[in-house]
Amino acid sequence: MSSKRHSILPPVSQTGPKPPVNFSSTITIADSALLTGTHTITVHGESVIHPRARLDSLAGRVTVGRRCVVQERATLGAAAAVPAAAAAAPPAEAAAAVTLGDYVTVEVGAVVEAGGTVIGEGTVVGVGARVGAGAVVGKHCTLTAHTEIAAGEVVPDFTVVYSNGMRRTDKRGVAELKNKGLARQIDVLRRMIPSNPAKFA
Amino acid sequence: MSRRPPRGEYIETDTGNKVARKATLVGTQNIMLGGKTVIQPDVMIRGDLTRTVHAAAPQPASQSATGAPPNNTAVSIGRYCFLSRGCCLRPPGRLYKGVFTYMPLRMGDHVFVGPGSVVQAASIGSHVHIGAQAVVGEFAIIKDYVRILDGAVVPPNMVIPSFSIVAGQPARLIGEVPEGGLEAFELRDLYKTVGNNPQPVPP
Amino acid sequence: MAALTPYTYIRCPCSDVSAPGRPLDGSSPMAAAADDNGAGDDDDRTFDPRAPRSNYSLYPLEYLLYCEDCHQIRCPRCVAEEIVSYYCPNCLFEVPSSNLKSEGNRCTRSCFQCPVCLGPLAVTSLETKPDPSLLAAPDNAAAPHAGPYALTCSYCHWTSAEVGIQFEKPNGIHAQLAKLRNGGATRLTAKERKERRKDPAYRTQAAAAPAPATAGGEEGGPSSSAEVLDLETQFANLKAFYQGQLADPNSADSGLAALSDLGFSSPTSLSRIMSIYTGGGWQDKKAKSRVGAMREALEPDEGLQPARLDESAAIDRLRSEGHGATASAAQLRDQPPNLGEAHLHGRARFASELRPIPYLLRTKRSKRCPVCRHIISKPEAKVQTTRFRIRLVAGSYIPSIAVRPLPLSSSSSSGSGGSASGPAVVPGALLEPLRPAHYLLTFKNPIFEPVRVTLGAPARTPGRFASKVTVLCPEFEIDANTDVWDEALKESGERDRDKDRRRRRGEEGGGQSSSNNPHHSQLEVGKIWERGRNWVSIVVEVVPASLRLAPGDPPLREDEDVLEIPMFVRVEWEGEAGGDDVGAAAGRDAAKEAREKRELAYWCVLGLGRIKQT
Repeated sequence: MSSKRHSILPPVSQTGPKPPVNFSSTITIADSALLTGTHTITVHGESVIHPRARLDSLAGRVTVGRRCVVQERATLGAAAAVPAAAAAAPPAEAAAAVTLGDYVTVEVGAVVEAGGTVIGEGTVVGVGARVGAGAVVGKHCTLTAHTEIAAGEVVPDFTVVYSNGMRRTDKRGVAELKNKGLARQIDVLRRMIPSNPAKFA
Repeated sequence: MSRRPPRGEYIETDTGNKVARKATLVGTQNIMLGGKTVIQPDVMIRGDLTRTVHAAAPQPASQSATGAPPNNTAVSIGRYCFLSRGCCLRPPGRLYKGVFTYMPLRMGDHVFVGPGSVVQAASIGSHVHIGAQAVVGEFAIIKDYVRILDGAVVPPNMVIPSFSIVAGQPARLIGEVPEGGLEAFELRDLYKTVGNNPQPVPP
Repeated sequence: MAALTPYTYIRCPCSDVSAPGRPLDGSSPMAAAADDNGAGDDDDRTFDPRAPRSNYSLYPLEYLLYCEDCHQIRCPRCVAEEIVSYYCPNCLFEVPSSNLKSEGNRCTRSCFQCPVCLGPLAVTSLETKPDPSLLAAPDNAAAPHAGPYALTCSYCHWTSAEVGIQFEKPNGIHAQLAKLRNGGATRLTAKERKERRKDPAYRTQAAAAPAPATAGGEEGGPSSSAEVLDLETQFANLKAFYQGQLADPNSADSGLAALSDLGFSSPTSLSRIMSIYTGGGWQDKKAKSRVGAMREALEPDEGLQPARLDESAAIDRLRSEGHGATASAAQLRDQPPNLGEAHLHGRARFASELRPIPYLLRTKRSKRCPVCRHIISKPEAKVQTTRFRIRLVAGSYIPSIAVRPLPLSSSSSSGSGGSASGPAVVPGALLEPLRPAHYLLTFKNPIFEPVRVTLGAPARTPGRFASKVTVLCPEFEIDANTDVWDEALKESGERDRDKDRRRRRGEEGGGQSSSNNPHHSQLEVGKIWERGRNWVSIVVEVVPASLRLAPGDPPLREDEDVLEIPMFVRVEWEGEAGGDDVGAAAGRDAAKEAREKRELAYWCVLGLGRIKQT
């Protein structure tokens, strides 16, 4: 297929207010990422934000750790699906809506709701997964595709959530190796995705 | 001379592909469309995630000037494919010989990808019907005449043989496609119903 | 209540074998008696789709095959299947059927399923990266990792290392697994066991062990040996023991070799026991001596394994580890029999006792007509090809029926007494009781001859809530399924065809040309709705029944609110006469090419939708 354009990307309309950002110098953020909101969005060293990822800080600060990967169409800081539950949750952590630890992967279409949600280090949030507002997910967890974590739930470390809510403990002991693998992946992604942090500054 | 034709929802290429204007195709020089393929709005194809490691000899300097070596297909799609709204095609990636690299995603003909699906398979055969909200994990291999029902999650590295019907999380074989059901996979009629000049749905 | 999309199921006549006098539900004789429009039903009774039996004979059109010799449709229930080839669904390697007898019907290469989630297991090296470094294909070139290997599930992250199983080589996992037990212990193969038994050193050791035990009685023996026999060893020991028992008396007296054929082989065989009581001349003494020589197994070495029914250890473990450490019923069901462990005797099985499951082989099957034994479906033997050598499907012989609701804004339906029809029927909505609704049935003709279709439907649907059904045009003709080019190019018969078409057009309710078609605003009985190149659509009007239950009636059963119409379809066409006689002598005169009238009749069920409950 002949193509004179590099990509067919319909223009991304910036619907919400432009948030104040705090980017590390080594991050890779695609041009068509969507950052909206009023609070600060912080992205720490060497993380990668794919095109069409959405970071929404209307409800509070969004913090992305080091060496994270946020894939396309993922949403950090979405409004809670069940607003009543979010209102009932104590607003003590209202300032920090979404916090991602280091080495976290948020895959295509995943949704991390706002409201003090914490994703621990090394966790993989699978395709289309949904983490409820205020949930605390432990370290090195795996949420497989289309899993749902209820609002306010606490998921212990090394848990694998799979097929319709089943849980088991991950005993592979590969946390270090996974982190190394993620670092390699980020190396490659940084070269592939043209980064444009200045657009959001 | 002639008035510019009104801007339709789809761009129709000379090979018969109908690509919606609102579809997101990243890295189109690495996306191969077979012809008579429909890409609906809100579809996302990541053509920029290409192979980084080449086993072949280094490319001549003139070609490397374009920025990417030729024939570096990330996503190749066959004829009469139909990508419904909101679906996402993404090449699978893994650590190979110590380097992280993406492998091409190859699709056959008459493949229907349902709305909201995410496909990261290594290869998909011909006459495959993927339902809505399905997730096909990385490096899955799907053969011909397979039906993946709505909401199925195909785990990574799974092989789905021909004539299977799979569903569930993780996807399991729940049935076989009967001999009389092969014509249902043809997407020629569906191709005609879409586009700037849609034909009515045949009875 | 979820609404359903309209469906069409066809009834295979294979279930008609039973006598016509079988009793039916209380409701259907009424329906049959009331209005059987004599459409040719053999039993003179309306087919009741709600009868429990009819569930097994109704199939959608895709599932039906057609036998060309019997000119009859065949369903998956009545065809005889034969296996063409076996293959593993994971590695797609074909397994020769000779291997099946020896290896069983599972893959013997490296294809395994996770015991926890049934996802595919990949061979990974334990030393380095967790990503699968090896796929099913032998791609060892990239493997500098020489570490021990384990099987890892890419979905739920279960590894075989959790149950203590590791492998040295990345190939031939099945063979390596056969030698391993959970927890790293090794297991003897059949060959090794035989050699052990023959080994004299082992025998003396085994003989010495139970010597002090026999003094202590039966209980002391097995517990002191502390050797729990696994199933395979136990079976092998038993078999060897009994074979030895049979062989010894026989070899001593070759003249009595024939007696073993008379049924004396097993200690419990009836003839042996009877021979103890009945004296029979010369056989008596020999038989008694033989009876004395046979005995049951007494030691583990001979195969006796008393059940360990003390479950306190298991209960303690359950208490400490919790419910999550046990295997669920679904997981246990999928496990193949574990021959490397002792019999469980119903004890709870823990998750650490689960093993990877080898993939069950899949088959390519060919199907035969049960009556005339002709093959009606035959796939290619090669796994990679998806073609069929023979594929006679019903979809190429009988008209397909598509149902969709017909939205009418405001029109009068002459068939139902002049009342204005209700609001437009939204597809997927529930049917309003007591309000007439219209559905469009489209019949598509797949064969190359014009067919005449006759429909018969009872005026009231069978079942507790009888809805009224009216087929507006029960008899019509559909054109042949010629290609569009064929028709344009054909010169001869063009005028006749035009005449036919015009005549038929007169039958339509105000229709014009055959290709495009303005929408009619009126429905007339006896007229079809629309006609195309090889299809015809007609209108069916239904008045759903009200689902009101009288007090004291049993509550609504499942799916009783679905409006189903049984319909009898008879298809007639003129085919070539005597297909088997083609190629006869040249002396055949033209008259013999007379076209033979063929017909095919079957019941089908149209499911239109659910009725709203008031």
